[in-house]
Amino acid sequence: METSSPCIVISDEEQGYDLDLFCIPKHYADDLERVYIPHGLILDRTERLAREIVKEMVGQQIVAVCVLKGGFKFFADLLDYIKVLNRNSDQSIPMTVDFIRIKSYSNGQSTGEIKVIGGDDFSTLTNKNVLVVEVTSLKCFFSYAVLKDIIETGRSIKTLLQLVKQCNPNMIKVASLLVKRTRSDGYRPDFIGFEIPDKYVVGYALDYNEYFRDLNHICIISETAKEKYKA
Amino acid sequence: MEKGIVIKDDWPGYSLDLFTYPEHYHDDIECVYIPHGVVMNRVERMATYIKDDFGDNNIMVLCVLKGGYKFCSDLVEFIKILGRNSDKYLETRVEFIRLKSYMNDQSTEDLHIIGSRDLSFLRGKCVLIVEAIVDTGKTMKALLKHVETYEPKMVKVAGLLVKRLPNMAEQLTDYVGFEIPNRFVVGYALDYNEYFRDLNHICVISKTGKMKYKV
Repeated sequence: METSSPCIVISDEEQGYDLDLFCIPKHYADDLERVYIPHGLILDRTERLAREIVKEMVGQQIVAVCVLKGGFKFFADLLDYIKVLNRNSDQSIPMTVDFIRIKSYSNGQSTGEIKVIGGDDFSTLTNKNVLVVEVTSLKCFFSYAVLKDIIETGRSIKTLLQLVKQCNPNMIKVASLLVKRTRSDGYRPDFIGFEIPDKYVVGYALDYNEYFRDLNHICIISETAKEKYKA
Repeated sequence: MEKGIVIKDDWPGYSLDLFTYPEHYHDDIECVYIPHGVVMNRVERMATYIKDDFGDNNIMVLCVLKGGYKFCSDLVEFIKILGRNSDKYLETRVEFIRLKSYMNDQSTEDLHIIGSRDLSFLRGKCVLIVEAIVDTGKTMKALLKHVETYEPKMVKVAGLLVKRLPNMAEQLTDYVGFEIPNRFVVGYALDYNEYFRDLNHICVISKTGKMKYKV
């Protein structure tokens, strides 16, 4: 397994910041414990990831594939930074985008088989440089099933990659904003924003039952909120 | 009065290879101490404290050049955004004063005002002094003394960075962005002999950098 480039490692002891030190929507005052990763830090890190990606994926047209639903915000910001690099350098690479959702066959068991919903025909990936963009590469985000596809996505990335490989792309890379340190199946994306401990986080790209989409920092959710916004 | 975001003595900063920065500073910086994005998020919060305190008064900003220009520009922008959502027109006017107080990385005693010393535009106004870094506090103390001679209505001080030293410095600053240990930092308009102003993150200068750009 190739080693991926360095990432920001957030230690287990890291407490984050007091909510009062940053701007937070008032309606979430009781729903959050701490600010864990400020929005500005996410953007700065994403800017660097964009540079790493462009350096490695030069040469062929890039097809950027966004894994919904959580991936959208990160995908948009990452691509904006890639576009800035493209328009300011001698070499610019054409880039197309696509959006997919991954659903596992819902029989209550994890067979590893997945269904890819949406997206263009995978044959369009032949000979291209494919960049799969996801938010979190993790085994199990919430310990209780909220949305099956969020839980399944982590396990399914490997299966997705196998499917994509069958179409003979020039290269496939995966960019993940967050990776949980507790992940045990040995899979590691090529480009990682932050490696974090096993904490309940929301905000930026991570919603909780559709809540917190309007929160730009990544924060630790409070116990009250877990109950309040339960499915 | 809030302490701001406290950065501990043993905070090592982030490795350079985790962020983007101008290539010409490659050997000159040790680490990224405070990323630009975090600075922006904190400045946005400071703007809300300031807007709350100044209330219905027009704000007369006194920006301390050159180091204060980025902080001032971003802070005033956030204050204006808050103002856009109010039903009253509140003016935020910006004036500038140029001070020189560092030689290499050592703070000097005296207040050197470059250009005009005349601050009569402050008379009767609610003044917000905007300074990038408050170190020993000697400069800020001297500046406050000078400002008071023009009889403003009220004076507050916003400091993006305040050094944690056992002296008066902390009490002088009403709005603190980050409380930092006694390290020499550059970037976000803070310079070392005029270098590093074009670096957007706040970074710690390396030994190589100190020697290279020494005066």
